[in-house]
Amino acid sequence: MAQAVQKLVAKVPTLVNAAVTYSKPRLANFWYYARVELVPPSPAEIPKAIEGATNIIKGFQTGRLGQTTVKDALRNGLVATEVLMWFYIGECIGKGGLVGYNV
Amino acid sequence: MVPPVAVSPLIKTARWSALLLGVIYGKQRFDYLKPIAEEERRVEEAEKKAREEQERIYKQLSEANSDTILK
Repeated sequence: MAQAVQKLVAKVPTLVNAAVTYSKPRLANFWYYARVELVPPSPAEIPKAIEGATNIIKGFQTGRLGQTTVKDALRNGLVATEVLMWFYIGECIGKGGLVGYNV
Repeated sequence: MVPPVAVSPLIKTARWSALLLGVIYGKQRFDYLKPIAEEERRVEEAEKKAREEQERIYKQLSEANSDTILK
């Protein structure tokens, strides 16, 4: 029993090394995209966001939204769903757990 | 590799504000549910004690009243 534990402890550094070598290029890839796509908006971009929202509302009022193609509508629906999912991720962070509230 | 796409600022603000709202909502709901759950646990403890007391009395009575020759 003690020998098995010793062998396992001796193998841990190699396992950690293997995990690091495996994940380094993938992490680099992730950072390469995340640094551009996932950053929070800078303060200069917030008025542009408000302008984009008013554009959508104006498009709805003029009826221009009725002319989006089905392909565009599906794509916008997917993007909207992704934005909604961030809310649920935030809720998981706020309640301190993944499934259910640990009261 | 495909170059990273420039995400529209509306989507970026919407994402991160949804995250923030979610954190706030989760925290507030947790704080609301916590005392309710503690109260329920307390009530359940008291009721459990009362129930076990009842069962004990019932068992004692049934043992005293049963007339078998096995005793």
